[in-house]
Amino acid sequence: MPAVSIAIMLPRELVEEVLQAARRRGGSFSELFVEERTSTSIRLDDGKVEELTSGLDRGAGVRVALGTSYGYAYSNRLDRDSLLQAAEAASAALQEGEPGAVVDLTVREGRGVNRTDRPADRFPAADKVAWLRELDDAARGLSPEVVQVVGMYGDSLQKRLIATSDGRWIEEDRPRIRLVTQVVAARDGTIQTGFFGPAACAGVELFDRFSAKAIGEKAAQRAVTMLDSVPAPAGEMAVVLAPGMGGVLFHEAVGHPLEADAVDKEASVYRGLVGTKCASEVVDGVDDATIPNGWGSYDFDDEGEPSQRTVLFENGVLQSFLYDRLRADKDGVGSTGNGRRESYAAPPIPRMTNTNILDGPERADAIIEGTDGGVFVTSLGGGQVNPASGDFVFGCSEAFKIEGGKVTTPVRGANLIGRAIQVMSAVDAVADDFDTWEGVCGKDGQQAPVGSGSPTLRISRITVGGTGA
Amino acid sequence: MPDLGDLCRVAVEAGEAGEAVEAYAEESRRTEAKALRGEVEGLEFSESRGVGVRVIREARLGYAWAADPDADDIREIVRRARENSALAASDEHNVLPEPAPWRPIPELFREASAAVATEEKTRLALGLEARAISRDPRVTKIDEAQVSDAVSRVAIASTNGVEAEYQRTDAWCLAVTLAVEGDETQTGFSYRIARGLDELDWEAVADEAVERGARMLGAAKPETARVPVVLDQFAAMSFLGVLAGGLSADAVQKGRSLFAELVGERVGSELFTLVDDGTNVEGPGAAPFDDEGVPSGRTELFTKGALNGFLHNAYTAHKGGTVSTGNGKRGYRSPPSVGTSNFYLDAGATSRDELLQRAEGGVLIQDVSGVHSGANPISGEFSVGATGLRISGGALGEPLREMTIASTLPEMLKAITGVGDDLRFFSSVGTPSVLIGEMTLAGV
Repeated sequence: MPAVSIAIMLPRELVEEVLQAARRRGGSFSELFVEERTSTSIRLDDGKVEELTSGLDRGAGVRVALGTSYGYAYSNRLDRDSLLQAAEAASAALQEGEPGAVVDLTVREGRGVNRTDRPADRFPAADKVAWLRELDDAARGLSPEVVQVVGMYGDSLQKRLIATSDGRWIEEDRPRIRLVTQVVAARDGTIQTGFFGPAACAGVELFDRFSAKAIGEKAAQRAVTMLDSVPAPAGEMAVVLAPGMGGVLFHEAVGHPLEADAVDKEASVYRGLVGTKCASEVVDGVDDATIPNGWGSYDFDDEGEPSQRTVLFENGVLQSFLYDRLRADKDGVGSTGNGRRESYAAPPIPRMTNTNILDGPERADAIIEGTDGGVFVTSLGGGQVNPASGDFVFGCSEAFKIEGGKVTTPVRGANLIGRAIQVMSAVDAVADDFDTWEGVCGKDGQQAPVGSGSPTLRISRITVGGTGA
Repeated sequence: MPDLGDLCRVAVEAGEAGEAVEAYAEESRRTEAKALRGEVEGLEFSESRGVGVRVIREARLGYAWAADPDADDIREIVRRARENSALAASDEHNVLPEPAPWRPIPELFREASAAVATEEKTRLALGLEARAISRDPRVTKIDEAQVSDAVSRVAIASTNGVEAEYQRTDAWCLAVTLAVEGDETQTGFSYRIARGLDELDWEAVADEAVERGARMLGAAKPETARVPVVLDQFAAMSFLGVLAGGLSADAVQKGRSLFAELVGERVGSELFTLVDDGTNVEGPGAAPFDDEGVPSGRTELFTKGALNGFLHNAYTAHKGGTVSTGNGKRGYRSPPSVGTSNFYLDAGATSRDELLQRAEGGVLIQDVSGVHSGANPISGEFSVGATGLRISGGALGEPLREMTIASTLPEMLKAITGVGDDLRFFSSVGTPSVLIGEMTLAGV
């Protein structure tokens, strides 16, 4: 069951035949996406290795598009009959039309943005178990109040081939690695949790940034800190977001409405606002898939478009939406390389990659000192946004009061609630201490690894929903 | 294509002396049709299958899986799972269930639905959109209109002698409308699931998505107050998801459930009876057996507010000295965990209209957001964003948004003063409308 090079599995003539069959009723283009993914996941719970799982996923999806309409079919089987059957099924979405052509397939090389010298699949499973043990020891060693530690290790290698009727032939490997932990701390019947889970599109280089020990300690520190928490205040107030957290908010509240499918369906608050000031002038934001080994990075997106750095906001002025191929063709612009899919089992849709607010001129400590009262958020638990109205809500898993320019008592149960444009317009200070946060974003039932980044920043007024005074 | 049951038997035969081997295989054929602006926006087909293998050796569990394996791949998966078991912790509760007779449920497979032509599915999706944009002058476009169905098959075999196999059909549709007035846009969501496409009430989905979007236009922030709250089925469902997590024996045994020490105690109001019932054919989660081959059962988790027990799979049952409730759940990519079958709040006798009358001056919550991030499954504390409508004169009035509700799950369950007679399933989770005597709504 070893991983095989996809090009060896699928000869060029067969790929051309499938692309041709998919265009039997025409359409603007056809595309074949083939994938093989090997993965290892290990779960350590209560100090014991509970699960150690090896996976081999394999499949191919055929898409044929006409305007923004498409037909898509996939199969786990990669033999000629199955692929031609998928092509036939996908083409059934189109009305009867003249067959379309397939241009000579030309290999395109990537820059190797996710190159790794230490791929995870070269390490024995025993090493991976040892990293989890190191994490577990570190979390428990931090405090006697740590009562539970769950650690999850995962790595995968996705080999992809993308070929299109307009001549693209792209092969790209994506190595992924992630070490996640959830720690529970308890004191006198009070229970709090702490989470941390850095990730990279890389090999074990991930641990150069955060050792397994550091990951365990950070989550444990969060859980223990929150034991001292009091109910969060409620009301409108200033909120300072720690490095990375502004990126999470930017991703949810701003990024999703900037995805071109939301814009096309008139379900975006930013529709028609390119070139307009939609955020405070201290906000510069980008979506950048070219960051080396970034969790959301790649050479080519999942429709074979080269990745790029797309400026979204410059001095608060909206610059661009995030495009896939279908929506870009419709708007007569170039794709921004944001067509992504979870796997062969789903067609690509516009998605973010690494979405970042860039460094500003201020210093983080000066921002805190200049804040009379409010909340300092160091970890967001996740959020939801309605792209049409821009309404969003975020849970804060670690936050503190700011009183008289100082970070004081930890608070629990805080929610940030607001609307995208108003909140981004209320950003009044951006520091120079950029950092990232890695997560998994869900949309239309598809999961995508995404990076979010920002320096420390302050929102002068936002609604905090809490249960305290 | 090799038969699913045959593939499972290949795995079982590859087992070595002294080890227990189980194979779980599933295959499905799915179609999804989406309409937009009067055209087929997308048509997706899939044919997928996969097999996952558990090997238990010296009480150590190893797992491996592959998409569309042949017999040789299966033997390789067994070898990998065996290799993985060597690194796992020894745990005497790693056991495979003993075989038990299960009763086939032929109603789960509707031949008529499996045979529906693709053109009919696209016609339904187009009809769904057309209806949604013609009911209200403020709703002239949609974000999504989708009609989907699946024909699936599951097979399980183990060295303990479990041999189980069944097939099912499912169909579902959803609509997300956009209601526009001036600069304001609100979205309205609706969803229904049925055993087959022929039973799918797509017209009701269109109408409901229109109503839920249009009535939110002009929404404003309320003043903070303690008021009666009616959770509609959509909002109540979000909370049931969090409850389900706390009622898994796995969470209890690991000290991750707020209900761990409360068996036998009155946790909720008299009106709160919560059931998991995989044998209830009315629910979408019905199946003859769970994903370990254990016959489905009915478990009353709460009776009139009192907690009776938890949901078990084979592992948690062995650990807890009890029997599996038939709640081993999984896909082929992972070993079984504990999950729900048809998990629902038992319907009450009160009509929705009467609940609204009893909540005079209160608020109907139609959506809550951030439950998963905003609710602590261990402490039960939550603070979530909400949208809804003011209740006045027994009817729905002014739309409200940018508000939060904060409480704890036990407090909320105790405060239930009315349960509607309008039980509705969303996927395998079902709930009627629920009246909460009083809650703090923070409109800040």
